[in-house]
Amino acid sequence: MLEMENIQYKGFRNIVKDGETEGFQVGIRFVSYRGPWLSQFRFKHVKIDDEVFGPDVCTFVLNGIEYTYEEMLQDWRQKWHLQDVCYIRVKKPGGLASGNHKVNVIYWEIASYLPPRLDTMKEGMDEDPSTAREMIIV
Amino acid sequence: MYQYDRKGPKRGIALYSYSAEFGLTKSLEECFEDIHDMGAHGIEILANTHIENYPYPTDEWVEKWFRLCDKYEIIPVEYGNWIDSHVLGHRDLTTEEACEMLERDIRLAHRLGFKVMRTKMPVITHALDPVKNWREIIRMALPLAEKLGIQMCPEIHTPTNLKSQMVTDFVEFIKETGTKNFGLNIDFSVFRTGFKEGQFRNPNYTPNVPEDLIPLLPYIYCCHAKFIHMSDDFEETTIPYKEIIQILKDNQWDGYLLSEYEGADKYDDGYEVGQTLRKHHIMMKNCIGD
Repeated sequence: MLEMENIQYKGFRNIVKDGETEGFQVGIRFVSYRGPWLSQFRFKHVKIDDEVFGPDVCTFVLNGIEYTYEEMLQDWRQKWHLQDVCYIRVKKPGGLASGNHKVNVIYWEIASYLPPRLDTMKEGMDEDPSTAREMIIV
Repeated sequence: MYQYDRKGPKRGIALYSYSAEFGLTKSLEECFEDIHDMGAHGIEILANTHIENYPYPTDEWVEKWFRLCDKYEIIPVEYGNWIDSHVLGHRDLTTEEACEMLERDIRLAHRLGFKVMRTKMPVITHALDPVKNWREIIRMALPLAEKLGIQMCPEIHTPTNLKSQMVTDFVEFIKETGTKNFGLNIDFSVFRTGFKEGQFRNPNYTPNVPEDLIPLLPYIYCCHAKFIHMSDDFEETTIPYKEIIQILKDNQWDGYLLSEYEGADKYDDGYEVGQTLRKHHIMMKNCIGD
């Protein structure tokens, strides 16, 4: 099931592999009336408190398939369905500290049926209030 | 398969109206049930939204689709698709690639029993002008549309005017090709005259009068019955519905009016769009006389 908000509480956790904490993940969805094709996804960064993580340290897991940002930008034949949550896996050795975090993800979609100004809509943003949530790591 | 034989304007619902609830608090079947409760028989879906695993639904899902249509006496009226030629951002799709996408939708619309598609054109300007190669894309897809009995209809939506160059270009294309497989979907937002103080009104927008529909009627295969505000006594206060529907009846227009509610308040906590749609359908039922 989905939470109403863009950023999902569910699945917010540190990623541990072979006993090492490699980073963390956070789930996002599109609160919209249609899901984009993967290549319509635009992502600037995940920001946790004051630390910024750009596309170079993130991968994106959708329906069990892990994509780099570059791979998503090229794929115009796969859909991101409205019911799909995409988990952004962020490389951060040691992961996030236990406790409260302010999570902000800046992402949007480009579209063909609206003026092309959407292409760069949120590029200048540092924070997006519509995609900010206080979240807890145990 | 269920048949609805009434002639003239008929009532239907665009599932887009349920966008704040679909998949969260309402399933596809619950939307069908709501439409049935309103006595409406037509449905418009958005392919990208309402078809599970679009564009590759399973046979089981397609069987479920037809089962729901039969159970709730619903006709698949309009299949909403997009020619998403700006899908990559850094370059537009070639005519061939855009046509590949369009033909995939034509086949899927046909598989689900639709005859009309709301084919959203990719735009290149703030005034919503379509891409320069729209004629080539449509022309390339026409043989398949003809073979499968599909009519592709761009939506004419505010701020576009029915007398604009864009609409003239579409009509000229239809006349030039002689095709019956490309037409128009008119969104009633083009007739809106009521704006409350503080409501956004596009400076490029000039309302049409209902009579402006008459010369276009031979090319209109579907309408979006856009509504903005229903009063508690079941009147639409911003769009001249009675006059529009009278013109459709007087000119023996035969097709569906698909209610489409776009108000941002549908995302408010506790809002239930079915109640708003029901008000609209009391008004449409009165005008149509069904």
